[in-house]
Amino acid sequence: MTLPAKPIAARLLLALLTSLAALPASAQQPLPRTVIFLDPAHGGSDPGARLSDNLPEKTVTLSFAARLRSALSASGFSVITTRDSDPSAAFTTDQRAEIANHSHPTACLILHATAGGNGIHIITSDLAPPDDSYADTRHAIPWDTAQSASIPQSVALANTLGLALLHARLPVLLTRSSLRPLDNLTCPAIAIEIAPLTPDDGDTTPVSDANYQQQIAQAIATGLTTWRRNLGAPVGVTR
Amino acid sequence: MIPRYQRILFWSLFAGIFLMSAFLLRGCQQAHKRLAALNDATPIAAPTATSTEDVTLYLANDTDASITPTTESLALPQAPSLRARTLLDHLLSAYSLPTSKHPLQSGLAVDDVFLLNEPANTPDRPSTSSSETSSPQARQLAIVNLRGSFVDNHPSGIQVEALTLQSIIGTLHAALPEVTSIRFLVDGQPHDTLAGHADLLRTYPAVDTTVHPAPPTETPQL
Repeated sequence: MTLPAKPIAARLLLALLTSLAALPASAQQPLPRTVIFLDPAHGGSDPGARLSDNLPEKTVTLSFAARLRSALSASGFSVITTRDSDPSAAFTTDQRAEIANHSHPTACLILHATAGGNGIHIITSDLAPPDDSYADTRHAIPWDTAQSASIPQSVALANTLGLALLHARLPVLLTRSSLRPLDNLTCPAIAIEIAPLTPDDGDTTPVSDANYQQQIAQAIATGLTTWRRNLGAPVGVTR
Repeated sequence: MIPRYQRILFWSLFAGIFLMSAFLLRGCQQAHKRLAALNDATPIAAPTATSTEDVTLYLANDTDASITPTTESLALPQAPSLRARTLLDHLLSAYSLPTSKHPLQSGLAVDDVFLLNEPANTPDRPSTSSSETSSPQARQLAIVNLRGSFVDNHPSGIQVEALTLQSIIGTLHAALPEVTSIRFLVDGQPHDTLAGHADLLRTYPAVDTTVHPAPPTETPQL
């Protein structure tokens, strides 16, 4: 039996046209997901600060990291975290920095909590930006001052997230400090320290409050979306 | 006739009385000398005239995360190490007052401050490139040896720990301009952090740490 030539030719032509029509569509495929590095500080034998009688800092950073991870995933970010439980032996700060530096994230967020102060403290490294003699990328990057080259981007990231938190009506303080692993990161990096919410006229909201944490997480996700948009194209992409 | 044994006993008792009298007399003389020495008002060493001088303390405020220079009059020793230690003890004791805006627990905080001369041709790391330069022959490294009790009782948090360090660094920089960098020890040993956060292993540039954090701005910074 001979196959009909016309229907086959018509089908081939249709397939060709369909594939040609698909070309522009594939060129407009969604941008690769932006990678965010989250480090819930402390863990294991290191409880961090004692926020109340039986609430260590490591518990709050872990619960907040979980909320932030959900908010970021919903906003289209890929998230890498250093822990999603409380292991008996948590990573050291150097190991956390190694994980971050090898994953080339767009932004690194180190999560902390404290019993003092008010609102959210956004901290950037207080290392000095590199001078011209260190601008040559062929130089080895000193581990202790690895963040130095990213200070301008980190300050801009802190400002963007600070604005987002202010828009969410949360008090923000932008400060600088020397902190590990913040100083060892090669990505734009900030530390976010959650303090209790102590309004002038009202009750204090503890850092363990779920609504408070959710509010912060949502504002940070919004801020990072703005940050990604301002960057134009993502720097770090999923590999 | 007095028996011989009675004569021996008599003279023995007489000798004993004589010796006891001499012993008591000697004891009374020594006690008198001791009491006379206690009443001597002659000064052991001539007093030195200590005048007060104006020093700048960099005071931290937890509410707005600021460091503000404040001038106070203090009597300080002239020896630089002792001077630095006295100054830091005064600074940190001010934080234990009820009115302190950066409350810390009371008690001695600083064991020693060592001042070491640094080689003039040592290149700065990138982190210290912004430090203020002084004459090459005057460069000194200050090593602040904190007490373990101070570190153990320090509040834990990035901001509160950073403010304590910035307060110490700014105050040392203002009082001892020849100090260009500062390191910290705890009970004579290197220590990771002050209270779980602020890095105590790095060398800090001695700079003016006055800071008043600005709120986030709409102006793009990239």
